[in-house]
Amino acid sequence: MTADPVRTQASRAAGPARLELRGVERSFGPIQAVSHASISVEAGQIHALCGHNGAGKSTVVKMICGLLEPDAGEILVDGEPVSLSSTHEAQRLGVALVDQELSVVPSLTVAENLMLGAVGEPVLLNRRRIRRHAEELLARVGLTCSPDTELGDLSIGERQLVEIARALDRGAKVLLLDEPTATLSSTETELVFKAVRASAAEGCAVIFVSHRLGEVVELCDRVTVMRDGRTVAESSTVGMHPHEIVHQMLGEVPQKVAKASRRTEPPSLVLRDFSAPDLFEGVSFDVSPGRIYALAGQVGSGASEVLRALAGLYPGSTGRAELDGRPLPQGRPEATRARGIAFASGDRKSEGLFLTKDVRTNLVMTRLGSLSSWGIVRRRRARRVSAEIARFAGIPPTRLRTPVEQLSGGNQQKVLVGRSLADSSVKVLLLDEPTRGVDVGGRGAIHQVLRDAADQGIAVVFASTELDELIELADTVVTMREGRVVSTYEGDATEAAVLNDITHAEGTA
Amino acid sequence: MSIDLRAVRRSSSLLPLVALTATVIGFLCLPAYAGRPLESYDLFNLFEAFAQIGLIALGFGLLLIAGEFDLSIVGIFALSGVIAVKLGQAHPLLGVLAALGVCLAFGALQGLVIALFRIASMPVTVGTYIALLGLTRVVGDDQSSVTFENIDTTLWIQQPVAVIFSPRSLVVLAVFVAAGLAFSATRWGRELRALGGDRKASRTAGVPVNRRLVALFAVSSLLGGVAGALSAFNVGAAITDPGSAPLTLGAAGALIGGVALTGGRGNVAGVFAGAMSIVILGQIFFIAGVDELYSDLVFGLGLLLIVAVNAPSAKDWATRLRASRRTLVERALAAPSHA
Amino acid sequence: MSPASPTADLDTIELSPEPRGRRARAAVRREAGQPGTWVLLVAVAVAVVVGAQTPRFFSVDNAKAILVSTGTIGIAALGVTLIMVCGGLVSLAVGETAAVAGMVFLFSLDLGLVPALLLGMAVAAAVTALQGAMVGAWQANPIILTIAAASILTAVGARLSATSAVQPASDAFARLNQTPLGVPVVVFALLGLTVVVQLLMKATRMGRLMYAVGENRAAARAAGLPVALTVLGAFAVAGALMAVSGAFSAATSHTITLLGASQLTFNATAAVLAGGTAIFGGYGSAVRTLFGALLIATITDLLLLRGADLGMQTLVKGLLVLVVVLLGHLRGQQGRA
Repeated sequence: MTADPVRTQASRAAGPARLELRGVERSFGPIQAVSHASISVEAGQIHALCGHNGAGKSTVVKMICGLLEPDAGEILVDGEPVSLSSTHEAQRLGVALVDQELSVVPSLTVAENLMLGAVGEPVLLNRRRIRRHAEELLARVGLTCSPDTELGDLSIGERQLVEIARALDRGAKVLLLDEPTATLSSTETELVFKAVRASAAEGCAVIFVSHRLGEVVELCDRVTVMRDGRTVAESSTVGMHPHEIVHQMLGEVPQKVAKASRRTEPPSLVLRDFSAPDLFEGVSFDVSPGRIYALAGQVGSGASEVLRALAGLYPGSTGRAELDGRPLPQGRPEATRARGIAFASGDRKSEGLFLTKDVRTNLVMTRLGSLSSWGIVRRRRARRVSAEIARFAGIPPTRLRTPVEQLSGGNQQKVLVGRSLADSSVKVLLLDEPTRGVDVGGRGAIHQVLRDAADQGIAVVFASTELDELIELADTVVTMREGRVVSTYEGDATEAAVLNDITHAEGTA
Repeated sequence: MSIDLRAVRRSSSLLPLVALTATVIGFLCLPAYAGRPLESYDLFNLFEAFAQIGLIALGFGLLLIAGEFDLSIVGIFALSGVIAVKLGQAHPLLGVLAALGVCLAFGALQGLVIALFRIASMPVTVGTYIALLGLTRVVGDDQSSVTFENIDTTLWIQQPVAVIFSPRSLVVLAVFVAAGLAFSATRWGRELRALGGDRKASRTAGVPVNRRLVALFAVSSLLGGVAGALSAFNVGAAITDPGSAPLTLGAAGALIGGVALTGGRGNVAGVFAGAMSIVILGQIFFIAGVDELYSDLVFGLGLLLIVAVNAPSAKDWATRLRASRRTLVERALAAPSHA
Repeated sequence: MSPASPTADLDTIELSPEPRGRRARAAVRREAGQPGTWVLLVAVAVAVVVGAQTPRFFSVDNAKAILVSTGTIGIAALGVTLIMVCGGLVSLAVGETAAVAGMVFLFSLDLGLVPALLLGMAVAAAVTALQGAMVGAWQANPIILTIAAASILTAVGARLSATSAVQPASDAFARLNQTPLGVPVVVFALLGLTVVVQLLMKATRMGRLMYAVGENRAAARAAGLPVALTVLGAFAVAGALMAVSGAFSAATSHTITLLGASQLTFNATAAVLAGGTAIFGGYGSAVRTLFGALLIATITDLLLLRGADLGMQTLVKGLLVLVVVLLGHLRGQQGRA
């Protein structure tokens, strides 16, 4: 389906844009997440917002849907400046958000979800009218299921369609879709596209935030690219090729950095046709001690899921996953740890650290056995060891007794990494997003820790979407998309090539 | 994976039906091992027993569907009984109204605190439960029971109506009918299930969460209050400490009624069936002269089974066992080819 | 190389100055900042002020009376503390477990005091360990699970006390009723066990694991910590403590019944909550529970001396729990969506 023709200046002047951001800025403490964002979306237009991690995309999205307020600049709806002070206010003005965290309830039926929280609905239910209304809405977005289907029986894509249908029903003027197709199959993606086109046809202004550039070009009329907190380009998508967007997202084409090559020993961790239903499929690669491997892939690509499955957090993986020739236990993280595989989750607050406990306690949590005699923890030994680990991980010694929740993101991450490397039995270190939420300085420090670990013979495997991190840290980069491996780069990865792989933008770098 | 979920869901809605059918059949087969035919007073006793715990199961169950725990319902049950008796000696209706008024006020206040401060209901209701028991004793002049002098009312409320019912059991049944209608024919039922199914999504979708929670806790206390007042009038005395049995049986009734421990699932008809099953089971044991030991054991083990099946990680365990058995088999089959 | 992009966390917190001072001082300061401590201090202050105006409050006899009434509840409460800290919420079978263990104790007294006690503890530990295994491994709902356990234990206990009206098999239990230095044995037992449990929680590997699992089960699991075993262990020790409580009750009344079972459950739970231990786990201690139990016993005693009846005492107890829970939540211990 072709995109709308380019609007002329004349037609743009015909009326105010449905949604407009003018020179919006937003900082968090010393860090400026958005330094200048200007976006203009007309009614009936499908407008893409692209940008790699850290470009400021998610901050802009949060400002549009009322979660944050800009420090400077204006937001206008239908030409009127508005103050989106809360999500409630944004909803009242007609902004609807559909993102990864669905606001539909799985235990209710489709019809019930469509009516949930509707203003002005009479207390007594008129089932026939509700059913008819539901059928109309479903037809509008192209869903063929019955309104009495329980939402939990629908796929994620279909659930998103229900959410879109509900937004349309409530008179959404601006439909904001944040990475809606990240975890969808191609058939489901087509469904979502149909629904989006239908919404635009009804006059909605649609903002489509996505890293899947092939879809962006196919679905959207125009695209705005953000980089380093600024909107840097805006154009029609007619005749555009995805790698043009990649070019804008990256800026200058980076120089390739020559890395000291590492010896390759025989592999210790072997994966063949490793699969987990609905998460990833047919993943095969070898991991040798002393090298650093990266799994590059966006949300839904299967990269972090592979790590989690290796860590033993999923009980139902199939295929071969062997460490030193013996199969890894599935579904038992305790046993996997005993075999020497340490895992650091991407969500350090809810699945990594014990926030109210101090740094020392966190650092030695996984090796208390070696620090105790007869079950009693030898405090002095524990203190010495925690100081050593802290030194190795680059944590300032003055922080040792601070509760972890009071540390900066960078230091928190260092605690998590340090704990994962805490004892010499670790052979493989798995890290999901090793420097998420960490500033530049902390990033460099953590990278050095990982290099030191590799030098000591540990195999490091991390999943990340930070292009420079992938290129500068990893010896081998395995790119993944939609649950499958795309390609493997042995030291010759470039940011453009990786980005192309993980965003489905074929073409030359 | 989705198929598994569907099976579990179907089983949780089948449970009340299966339990009710099984217990009814057991009940009808009683003459075989009780040595006497079923009499109409057996059915009367059945409905009387149901009147005792039915509303508690309903209150507890409704809150559980919404994802909350109300342990204080037994406390309000006791308090309501004492107030109804003390103030209703001369005018029973006045006593009942006063008691229900207190229940409503308390429930609304409790709901307000829980909703506004976004506290988990469990620790709060532990505290209010203990406080209510204390308050009950204080109002009851520190007696272990307060006698209801109004014999006429006691006789009236116990009298058989249409042979197998009494005014008390009819009131309880009427409340169930009303609750069932409210749950399935109004938007409230849907919103209740949404609150328990995904609280955050409900809020985003526009459900007035706080208002609903306050109303819910008020209703739960009201239900406990009705049960308490009726019970006190029926026995002719208000017991200041009913023990843990009402809560245990009520919770079991809700769970067997298909209400999920994690919230979001269940309905009034299910709770009815679940509570009825428990009551019938109790009657079976009683009429058949079964040792209390066995009846308590059966109850406890049944509850244990429900908890085990409801446990979130139990499924993973089963998957793991199946997977490890599969690998063992695979390896056994493959063994000969490996030298 | 492309310029580094700002990747700020929405809630990055600036580094805060590290409190200087020795470990003990820092620990005391940390504990003092917790809301439970403030309630305790305020309550103690109130008790002292009111006590000064109450005849016979500040007397040795009265102090002893308070300690004794704290005894059996306090020991059981230590067990509930372990369950609560490791994330097991509450046990609604405390009283029943103590009662049945007390029966086992009385029946086996002809084997001697200590063997009988150990047998009771073993039986209780086995029963609660099973519950702990289900909670730890499967994340079974502890509330309903312990309700089921209480039901089963009631059945067993009723049978045990029905067959032979529970008579002590020998006089060996008398030792438990002695009063060395004029103070009943149960008080020494309570203080001693508080020290033991406190050490278990703070100084051993298992104790640290309990706090970790209670605070964040997902993180403990992802780190490869033995979650199921930890919870099982906590429950098992809790069962043993409930048995000790039951044995002392049995010794005092020369028999034991299931009658006061639910009272013990709620008293023990109230004592733990009043001491400031968080119901959702990861925070608390045996010493806190001791203070909580003492506080409840003191207030009960004060009320008694001033002529308040059992109802008023219970009411105040419930309100105390409520206030502590509210304050703890407001200070961020127990958050929710």
